[in-house]
Amino acid sequence: MKVRKSYLLLASVTVWILLGRLLHGKNTLQIDTYENTSFTSFVGQKALDLRGNRTESPAFIYFFNPIRGAIDGFVQVIRNLIAVPAPNSVIPVIGWLGVVGLIAFAVYATSQWRTALLSVSLLLACGALGMWQFTMDSIAMTLAAVLLSLAVGIPLGIWAGLSDRVLKIVTPFLDLAQILPTLVYMAPIALVFMIGAASATIATMIYSIPIAIRITSHAIRNLNQSPIEAAESMGSTQKQTLTKVQIPMAKQMIVLGINQTVMAAVSFVVVAALIGAPGLGKPVIEALIIRNVGQGFVAGFAVVFLAILLDRSTSAAAKRQDSFIPPTEKQIKIKRITLIVSAVLAVISVFLSRTMLWAAVWPKEVTIAPQVAKVTNNATGWILENLTIFTVGFKDLISYSILNPLESQLSASPWYVTVAMIVALALIIGGVRTAILAFVLAMAIVVSGLWYEAMLTLTQTIVGCLLTMIVGIALGIWTGRNDRAERVLRPFLDAGQTLPAFVYLVPMLGLFGPTRFTAIATGIVYAIPVVVKIVCEGIRAVPHSLVEAATAAGSTTRQIITKVQLPAAKKTILLATNQGLIYVLAVVVIGGFVGAGGLGYLVIVGNSKPELQGKGLIAGAAILLLGVIFDRIMQAGARRSS
Amino acid sequence: MKSLFGRRSAIVTVVIAAALILSGCSKSVNDSAGGASGDCGSWAIAMHAWGGYTASAQVVAEVAKQELGCTITQTTLDEGPTTYDAMEAGTIDVVIEDWGGGRWKDWTDRGAVVEAGENGNIGIIGMYVAPWMVEKYPDITDSKNLNKYAALFKTADSGGKGAWFEGPAGYTTIGEKMVAANKLNFKVIFSGSEAALVDGFLNAEKNKTPFIGYAWQPWTLHSKLPTLEAARVNFPANDWSDPAKASGLTDYPSTPLIKLISKKLNDANDPFTSLVKNFKWTNADQNGVAADLEGGMTAEEAAKKWIAANTATVNSWLGK
Repeated sequence: MKVRKSYLLLASVTVWILLGRLLHGKNTLQIDTYENTSFTSFVGQKALDLRGNRTESPAFIYFFNPIRGAIDGFVQVIRNLIAVPAPNSVIPVIGWLGVVGLIAFAVYATSQWRTALLSVSLLLACGALGMWQFTMDSIAMTLAAVLLSLAVGIPLGIWAGLSDRVLKIVTPFLDLAQILPTLVYMAPIALVFMIGAASATIATMIYSIPIAIRITSHAIRNLNQSPIEAAESMGSTQKQTLTKVQIPMAKQMIVLGINQTVMAAVSFVVVAALIGAPGLGKPVIEALIIRNVGQGFVAGFAVVFLAILLDRSTSAAAKRQDSFIPPTEKQIKIKRITLIVSAVLAVISVFLSRTMLWAAVWPKEVTIAPQVAKVTNNATGWILENLTIFTVGFKDLISYSILNPLESQLSASPWYVTVAMIVALALIIGGVRTAILAFVLAMAIVVSGLWYEAMLTLTQTIVGCLLTMIVGIALGIWTGRNDRAERVLRPFLDAGQTLPAFVYLVPMLGLFGPTRFTAIATGIVYAIPVVVKIVCEGIRAVPHSLVEAATAAGSTTRQIITKVQLPAAKKTILLATNQGLIYVLAVVVIGGFVGAGGLGYLVIVGNSKPELQGKGLIAGAAILLLGVIFDRIMQAGARRSS
Repeated sequence: MKSLFGRRSAIVTVVIAAALILSGCSKSVNDSAGGASGDCGSWAIAMHAWGGYTASAQVVAEVAKQELGCTITQTTLDEGPTTYDAMEAGTIDVVIEDWGGGRWKDWTDRGAVVEAGENGNIGIIGMYVAPWMVEKYPDITDSKNLNKYAALFKTADSGGKGAWFEGPAGYTTIGEKMVAANKLNFKVIFSGSEAALVDGFLNAEKNKTPFIGYAWQPWTLHSKLPTLEAARVNFPANDWSDPAKASGLTDYPSTPLIKLISKKLNDANDPFTSLVKNFKWTNADQNGVAADLEGGMTAEEAAKKWIAANTATVNSWLGK
């Protein structure tokens, strides 16, 4: 069965290549960037009408505009509190010292003094980077989005936890939201809610609500059933069981869900700036535009610090309950006294931050931003000076050897040949249902008129994913087999996952110039951490007995890896590949900003040229379709391999 | 432990609430510092991404703050529809420089955005080669000869043709039309950002590598590459009188740059309204400020320097 499958794959690829060569350049559906199809101009006209209707249409007057107003107001209240001058004032309600004091106290009260200390240092570091106000804006935006996400996500999650039907209905949406590249839904949201804090908050929520729902329903579903049965047998109503038994029992898991929701929202901080979110994304994006690597990194570090701060403080609150040793009388007493002291200190700091200018506005003199910017600028300057020959050589090598042949195969073959190939792949890997789905989705891209651009994006995604998997699997095996390697690499992986892709898009542009490879390289850097983590877990999950048996039988390390660990972790590796594809796709489309062309560029150009707006919106949808095709085929493959 | 967790959350809530109440009662710095004064309101200027724009916008912002006592917010966002929407929504009041040649028509038609006249800068867009090439291949600036040199411009990304580096997405770009209308053997590469073009020109000049890219005036790159203007490729002039014909475009027209304001600002008749309407300066003015910016001054410093040196012009905007 297995052999036959790989032969089939090989055969269909060969046929595809031959047909592509034979019919080269025919029916490629290529149109110029400025050209519209009747479909895209129709959508563009509808979008323009929509803009015009904002002040007249009832849907806007009674639905969208009030939502926008409410969310804008909510965000503004939080921002006035900590970030921007309150109405009729020149300072926020709470100045920087007050914020530091309150956060220190809150973290100390819910976890340990070490976490509190870490939080304070991270906050001060953001201030020292000259990013205080941007950081506070980002915290305000994150807070608003998280609170709203939880308000929607937890009840929905509980419902989905209790009812199988609800779970069945929401699951496809949750799946979709997870593979939705962020660049895609920003334009439609901005179209309805306009540029600004409301749009940014809603876009962030779309990203973070699914996580809250998923973890909450998971928490409810995986409870120990005996207390629930006991409660029911004692005659509790359903409501009583829920509020007195299930929710309290699931609480810790739900707190973990809050942590994950917060992290999702933070990871959106930078992208959200594209649709007008105040905060750290602003300097990052400006840095991209004026190609100031130093500034980009200064702001990027602040984003990472903020992410660590929010991660540690929320996860510490969840973990704190793990200890089984009850605190002694004395410990409780000490904690109580220190709590009171720190509470008093927090209140004093708030008071100071309202009465003293030095405590209200971060003093401009206290800054290390110029130094940090200078160091990173010098470092990148040196790299550009000395390494460009290598980087450009590498780029050319990849371009001529993989990128160009694949692009010509995908984009210069007739569309029906490539569609047939995709369907054949789906059939072989995933089965009939996957094949039908792949056919429908691929045809939707054809009908949209953006097939050619989709093929360019597909090429870049495949090449990016290929390189990601080569590096990712190697590092994953290494960290999976070696605890020390894992410990060394872990901080880099964590940082890589939180550092916004926009930050290293700037140096990548310097290294590779405005090319497709710049987008690919950025996608690789973005996708590697998650791939390494998944592969590492997969390798670790391989039963020890298997490895030991192989060792006892005298296998070499290489044999153990290739014959035991990799085959046993096959399913995980397929899932990692799927994640790699989705991650690379999400970033490759951002590559439109750096010369990569394809669908991502159409989305970007659609945002700024009214006549191409329809095309941009359709391009967003086509990116999503590509993502779903990848995801369905890989998921089906992973299911079948287990 | 669970109850303790609950209790601690309660404690945190209580303390934060207490701090907030206290903060409400306590006398804030603000009361002594005093808010923004004067009869000028609070307005938002759109900050677009290119250096020249920053120069103009910052000068207007500084004059408004110093001379009129306005409260000015500067919001970074994309040019074009994004900004017009924001103006309609009331979050942006001023665009100090728009190259878009009427792309705002839908918004001005329904009165959401108002044209506020030309800002004095004349935008010139064109395709430029790396200046060193002009010396070596003197006839390259005539578009008829471009095909002769197309092979020089080949890169890994240009599919066997010459690589034609197009301007950023939001800018007025007609590269594909120019290539078609002039029958050029070039492939348009959408470089995506101003930074990419700056890099492209500077690296090409330094390493003496071939490069043809989108460039414009006023632009700060000209202060770094003084010979750039001479490296402009001359295309046959085209007829802009008829928009339908203009699809066979052969070259960019020069554009007087336009100021746009929100309906709110237009109706307010604020001192800031007349400042924006009166604002007008030359390409040289803008290039000077932009060059200071590029040289490492902050926008604020560069703008203040220019304002101090040009009081007469500033006074004319203020109607003094």
